[in-house]
Amino acid sequence: MSRLRRLLPVVATVAGLTALFMFGLLRGSPDRDIPSNFLGRAVPDFDLPVLERYMAEFGPRMTLDDVRGRPLVINFWASWCGPCYEEAPHLQRAFERFGDEVLFIGIQTQDRDGRAAGRAFVDRFGLTFPNLFDADSRTSIAYGLFGVPETFFVHADGTLQHKFAGPVTTTILEEQIGALRR
Amino acid sequence: MLSLGVLGSAALTLALALAVYAAVAGAVGTIRRDARLQTSARLSAIAVFLAATTAIIVMQAALLTDDFTVKYVAEHSRIESPTWVKVVTLWAALEGSVLLWAWLLTAYAAVLAVTAPNTILRPWALVVMQVVAIFFLSVVTFAANPFIVLANPPLDGPGANPLLQNHWMMAVHPVLMYLGFVGLTVPFAFAMAALITRRPGTEWMRLTRRWTLLGWGFLTAAIISGGWWSYEVLGWGGYWAWDPVENVSIMPWFTATAFLHSIQVQERRRMLKAWNLLLIVLTFSLTLLGTFLIRSGVVSSVHAFGDGPVGPFFLTFFAIVSVISIGLVVWRWDQVRDRADLDAVVSREGAFIGVNVLFLAMAFAVLLGTVFPIFVEATSGARVTVGAPFFDAITLPVWMLVLLLMGVGPLLPWRRAETQTLRSNLLVMTAALVLFVVVALAFGMRRPYPLLTVGLAGWNLASVGLLLAGAIVPRARITGRSLGEVFTRYAFEQKRRVGSMVVHLGVIVIAIGIAGAGGYRVDQQLRLDYGERVAFQGYELQALRPFAEQSAGRASVGVEVAVWQGDRQVTVLTPRINRFGTNQMTVPTPSVRYTIGHDLYLALAGAVDPTQDFVIIRAVQSPLVTWIWIGGAIIALGTAYALTPGDRPLRRRVTADVPAGAEA
Repeated sequence: MSRLRRLLPVVATVAGLTALFMFGLLRGSPDRDIPSNFLGRAVPDFDLPVLERYMAEFGPRMTLDDVRGRPLVINFWASWCGPCYEEAPHLQRAFERFGDEVLFIGIQTQDRDGRAAGRAFVDRFGLTFPNLFDADSRTSIAYGLFGVPETFFVHADGTLQHKFAGPVTTTILEEQIGALRR
Repeated sequence: MLSLGVLGSAALTLALALAVYAAVAGAVGTIRRDARLQTSARLSAIAVFLAATTAIIVMQAALLTDDFTVKYVAEHSRIESPTWVKVVTLWAALEGSVLLWAWLLTAYAAVLAVTAPNTILRPWALVVMQVVAIFFLSVVTFAANPFIVLANPPLDGPGANPLLQNHWMMAVHPVLMYLGFVGLTVPFAFAMAALITRRPGTEWMRLTRRWTLLGWGFLTAAIISGGWWSYEVLGWGGYWAWDPVENVSIMPWFTATAFLHSIQVQERRRMLKAWNLLLIVLTFSLTLLGTFLIRSGVVSSVHAFGDGPVGPFFLTFFAIVSVISIGLVVWRWDQVRDRADLDAVVSREGAFIGVNVLFLAMAFAVLLGTVFPIFVEATSGARVTVGAPFFDAITLPVWMLVLLLMGVGPLLPWRRAETQTLRSNLLVMTAALVLFVVVALAFGMRRPYPLLTVGLAGWNLASVGLLLAGAIVPRARITGRSLGEVFTRYAFEQKRRVGSMVVHLGVIVIAIGIAGAGGYRVDQQLRLDYGERVAFQGYELQALRPFAEQSAGRASVGVEVAVWQGDRQVTVLTPRINRFGTNQMTVPTPSVRYTIGHDLYLALAGAVDPTQDFVIIRAVQSPLVTWIWIGGAIIALGTAYALTPGDRPLRRRVTADVPAGAEA
């Protein structure tokens, strides 16, 4: 009995520390989950060259003004980014389903390997939505990118509904596009 | 097709299964006194190591062959990186680090299984080692598996974290850290074995003395090399910032240092049994807690190692280890309670206990400061940070006391000090202290802490001198040999003792370096117009021209700055900004002129714009900072010397032909 009583402070201390750290874990990392500055506001304009594959349909350059009036899914990616390879098939599938109502735009960014790597990427996944090339990463800076991939869900009036950091999945795309259509 | 990823996962799973077998067979074999089962468990420790080694080799093969089907390679490596970067990419991110840690652990466990003397403690110690290995192997197999095979592998990856690619020290520092952490797992395992077998005497610590020293030496080297890396890479001209990552490395160092000293009290006086057990448990728990804190993203740190999925694992293991091991100490309280009492406060053991209290106080203060922000957020929701001023204010006075005791302790005999000798020794040391302070004052030092540190350096140098004189002069007199000859023999025969003196000497050297660099640093932003000389701390700096360099995977822009002293151009420094691969992050890389007296440290404070005719530079002059690294090398040497085999056994020393008091 006395042994158990002696154990109590040990257990209490460790339990206290553990509870504190559990709180720290559940609270999420303060550095990462920063909501985008553009939430509910208009996303910045861009004016970027279109990757060769899409030039016939969309012309040599594309700006935000060209596509205003439709809900947008803007996805930033790079040819060296592993998770971007994970999400590309999900994006293509979602585009095939919702492409009539929602326009998808891919933006290759932060990528020194350039257009050749970009072409290989879009060909590999047979991406049929337009992909642009952000050669000097200026657009990614304007959008406040933390890393790639990041996906922006934009209302028809150009205001941001949601930003998702990391590889998107079909579930997330369905959920957010559903909200965009409403 | 058998891919490297599948092979790696298989090796890991095999290692995990074998570790589980080794632990279970070891425990069952020991309880049933089945020698064959115990042998089987020992042999499987080697098998665990071989399986883990296979995983490491597979990972290196994947990194070196740019196999981007392996997730870890795809996320952290890049084709154009130099080979050395690819090799060290193994520990450049979370999953690989845990893999390396697990591998080192299985290596130590295998070495123990082969070399540990066959005592009653060995089977349980091996079981504990394997249980710890099971934890790390499960984390790396289930929560943070680097071998996951990507269905859609990228053509190239982003490359390792730029901060880590920027300096060769990063190839060394993490490995030293893990070697230290893993090394200190060995005394922990034996301590647990001692508690389980109800033999909490001195046996467990005698068996692990070298391991403890080895682990401590690596941990010390890791912390100092981390400081050097920070100095050479981060561009703010400092080496220690009380960042959470640094704090969690120094906490187990405090408790390990305390442990290193207090086990001597138990060896000589059979005291502090429970204290020593608690210290090693605390050291091990703190390494787990530290890993949790920095790897889970719970505390924000400039080092931003990223939050992996391993946080809950480490937290759970920390809680389990703490409760079970401290619980075991409490459970066995009747056996670990001290029966002897302190004869006198002024004695060697008194000094050891004193220094223990000081180190533990610092560990507690640092823990408090590190955890405090979470506590405040949990209770009030407010965000606070605890910065360097808190840690400095709390630890500096304690460090002064540590330095004070470091001088007195080794001169005190065990049990009770003879007042006469003590008084004359203290007189000499105080004289040295005063002398050093006067000299420092003459050199223009005015701040209290640096002055006191220099004084205490004198105090400690006198102490080392007295120690050596006390050991050597009487022997020379008795044997009629020359002092040099006696010293050589003494140094050869008393390796532990001489090693500890060398380590203490290294501590003094570091203290002087910190006193200079911390107290008298000059830090200025300068605008350098190309061609014009700008005065800075007795130098003249002249920006010559901007330059740009491209090498495999790295692009640098920087400025060549000529450094003049009078009419003599002493050197050209090249502070630059590096960018690695496709990573957007730029890494400012300072350029340093090292001298014995002070360092001249230049870092770019802004972008280098070729259209501008000037450049903004951060210039730092740190006095004596080089001595911190020299002191670190001295400590490493002293530790290595104490570790070299051939020390005379403890027993003979007591009856050696040394007059009483001289050697103590």
